Amino acid sequence: MAPEQGALWYKNAVIYQVHVRGFYDNNGDGIGDFEGLAQKLDYLRELGIDAIWLMPFFPSPLRDDGYDISDYTSVHPSYGTLEDFKQFLLAAHERSIRVIVEMVLNHTSDQHAWFQESRSSQDNPRRDWYVWSDTDSRYRGTRIIFIDTEMSNWAWDPISKSYYWHRFFSHQPDLNYDNPIVREQMWSVMKFWLELGIDGFRLDAVPYLVEREGTSCENLPETHDIIKELRRRLDREFPGRMLLAEANQWPADLRPYFGDGDEFHMAFHFPLMPRMFMGVKLEDRKPITEILQQTPEIPDSCQWGLFLRNHDELTLEMVTDIERDYMYDSYALSKTMRINLGIRRRLAPLLDNDRRRIELMNGMLMSLPGTPIIYYGDEIGMGDNVNLGDRNGVRTPMQWSGGWNGGFSTADPESLYAPLLLNPVFGFQAINVLSQKRSEHSLLSWMKHLIRLRKSTPAFGSGSIEFLYPANHRVLAYIRKLSNETILVVNNLSSSAQAVELDLRAFKGNILIEMFGKNLFPRIGNNPYLLTMGPYQFFWFRLRQI
Amino acid sequence: MAEESILTDDFIRQLINVGEVDLLVGLPTHNNAKTVETVIKAVQAGLLKCFPRERTAILNVDGGSKDGTPDVVTGASINDLRRVYNIHALRTLPSISTRYASSPSSETSLHTILSAAELLRAKACAVISPESLNIEPEWVVKLLRPVYQDNADFVAPIYRRHKFEGVLVSNVVYPMTRALYGQRIREPYASEFGFSGRFGSLFLTQHSWRHEPGQFGTELEMTLNAITGGYKVSQAFLGTKSRSEHHPDDLVAAMRQTVGVLFSSLEPNFATWSAVDGSKPISTVGPEYEVTLDPLRVNRKRLKDMFSAGVGELESVLRSILSQSTFEALQQIAALDEETCRYPAELWAKTVYEFAASYHKSVISRDHIVQALVPLYRGRMFTFLVENRTASAEQIENGIEFLCREFERLRPYLLEVWNGGK
Repeated sequence: MAPEQGALWYKNAVIYQVHVRGFYDNNGDGIGDFEGLAQKLDYLRELGIDAIWLMPFFPSPLRDDGYDISDYTSVHPSYGTLEDFKQFLLAAHERSIRVIVEMVLNHTSDQHAWFQESRSSQDNPRRDWYVWSDTDSRYRGTRIIFIDTEMSNWAWDPISKSYYWHRFFSHQPDLNYDNPIVREQMWSVMKFWLELGIDGFRLDAVPYLVEREGTSCENLPETHDIIKELRRRLDREFPGRMLLAEANQWPADLRPYFGDGDEFHMAFHFPLMPRMFMGVKLEDRKPITEILQQTPEIPDSCQWGLFLRNHDELTLEMVTDIERDYMYDSYALSKTMRINLGIRRRLAPLLDNDRRRIELMNGMLMSLPGTPIIYYGDEIGMGDNVNLGDRNGVRTPMQWSGGWNGGFSTADPESLYAPLLLNPVFGFQAINVLSQKRSEHSLLSWMKHLIRLRKSTPAFGSGSIEFLYPANHRVLAYIRKLSNETILVVNNLSSSAQAVELDLRAFKGNILIEMFGKNLFPRIGNNPYLLTMGPYQFFWFRLRQI
Repeated sequence: MAEESILTDDFIRQLINVGEVDLLVGLPTHNNAKTVETVIKAVQAGLLKCFPRERTAILNVDGGSKDGTPDVVTGASINDLRRVYNIHALRTLPSISTRYASSPSSETSLHTILSAAELLRAKACAVISPESLNIEPEWVVKLLRPVYQDNADFVAPIYRRHKFEGVLVSNVVYPMTRALYGQRIREPYASEFGFSGRFGSLFLTQHSWRHEPGQFGTELEMTLNAITGGYKVSQAFLGTKSRSEHHPDDLVAAMRQTVGVLFSSLEPNFATWSAVDGSKPISTVGPEYEVTLDPLRVNRKRLKDMFSAGVGELESVLRSILSQSTFEALQQIAALDEETCRYPAELWAKTVYEFAASYHKSVISRDHIVQALVPLYRGRMFTFLVENRTASAEQIENGIEFLCREFERLRPYLLEVWNGGK
């Protein structure tokens, strides 16, 4: 049974992103599995999260960390069985934790049986399941996403002697969504998991489903038609389930993915994330307020997905050249930290392991409009290993304790799917769950507190936002409001103490109650409300008319 | 009772909001609403284009404008720059404005800018005139970059001027500064200049600030202070300087702000200038000098008449200031007609030096000494205009160079009259 909540549960949820491979290894083979993940559900419940987003766990040759799926209706044997998944799902639901499954609709692995059949001959019934061409000159207006590795969106297939279309790696051929049989097949895949009881999908790479000559082959109307049809079927057959879009686009281009509330329930706000890092580095609210001013209104039933870090690089596609250069110089001075148009680093190392900045960033994540998504390990401040290839440096095993393999696995260290961090700052002996559980001042304990406060009011998840623009541009302040609940959030983005005067006359007569300590602050009068703030400090105030 | 601060509480609040900056641009104004928008846009564009990552701010210090000048400054949005200059700002560029209580005073403006620069811990600052109609975004960059990136402490501008503009500078201020302090600064008294935070702070504490209306030549004092303090001085060629309106020449006031300041600098800096030998060029970004040669009507006859009349009317005063031989030489050329009257470079240099020595000795009221130089300067100006009526840019430059070398050659003469009797 799914947890009881309203249909809009995702609006007030806190989501936790995890790769089953990296969380906990139950069978001692060096790779995390569903049995292990199930054993750690109590940890997640204590953390206070509402939903788990599972990264792809399907059979795959793992040439792109599982985003190259070779079988959509099974579980990769390294992670367990379908039965293990069902048990995990049941256990999660028993703890009121929902499960969101990541699904890659756009492409398959070239090892998928469908592609093997498709390439086998030009007459094969599945030939038309993929996008084939005799030339590599079609769709020339389409950008290449993985610029570090791919020269073209077309790849030559020596077997069927023609080109196939791929927006990502060449071993990931794009499915042909102009083929109604493909569309029907992919709905069947989704239905398979929905019938098992999952609570939603995070749909990968959605802007690229359809190709048309003379376009960028992104965000096409035909793509929206396909999503609308999926949504219509989902609402009809599985009410209360949720679709989350992965579409790395500008807010105005993302807006259509919400439709009239009839496409995605949620979509990641990609451009906001780098600007939060930019704002803190610049000590200036401008990048943040600017992008949120450009963010269009979305239907009431929809929600933005907010995140600080995830399994991918800190993408810098949705920034200007000058902003990208600044981000590289500020957060990835070493070339080894860069990949594609982004930075392959985790939250804590990005912020120099500065607890105050980590707290500030998480405070903004939890209080800006949207549903926060925490990447596994960031709640304890895990580090990364930029020496591992691709983006594997941010996908190392979860650090549970200071013991053998960081408590992740009983296997020989050499057989772990990825080496644990060992350095004195971020290594598992310095950063782990066990030690942080023992201290009420640890980052983990603080994160639990923060999540509790976030969930103490629906204003953060569902309320309106109104920016205050104090003359001190180092301070980012906003009002979150939902019916009678009003929350004032004030963030000092600066490394130095700041004084700020807020125009709160609209709330004259209210008393401020600081939400962390529940202390009273002076009543709002006619004069500007003066606050002094320590470096990177932030306040959440509940306004009360007493 | 505590000394009253020139910074109002409201201004302090604005400074708190701006916080620490890397670069600060000061904009002293008084009724400049017609021109200041162009200026501030160029300043914004220059800062955002060339210093996108630096923390910058623009500070307007207003002397009581009645035309809404401060509102124009604070209302200038950087969002417009995307359209005009194709610039997208990485960070906020605050523009703040303060108004001081007294009447317009360049001294108070500069004092306020320097105080703000120190409070904001600005590493580099520039002062920009609100009347520079043809300002380009690069101006502010050229004034700031030598300080911010090349460790200069003071950056003087060089402008492309008409050959008959800035005659007081080319015939007195530049040659005398160069001869006495050994550094070839073409515009020692400019309304636009750059300086480092550390030099600004030092000048702020060392200078005796007067808060009275008017101009006092403080900018020239700052230049001299940079030279005599051993700070790294450089120059930057900005381009053509044109002002929004014609300013009536008050030669007496101009003389006080330039020659008066130079003369008064000599006593405290005796050890410096008495040891100077020759002069050295200083680091310059861009051309070192440019003139335009457009025809210009100048009433030379009036200058000659005022010179001759002045020599006659001020005979007793001039006799108390000048040596016998110098005064007699002056009398001789003052008696000549317009065609033959010329005030040669050597005599002019000697005249100025004898005035400086008399100023030092206070043979009469120091202000009267400065005022007495005005009719003589008119004679020198007349000569400069006549000699350069058809001159090319190169000829003019050669003429100024010759005058400078005369000032340098006669520097021992200044020491002689400085130390000796009249």
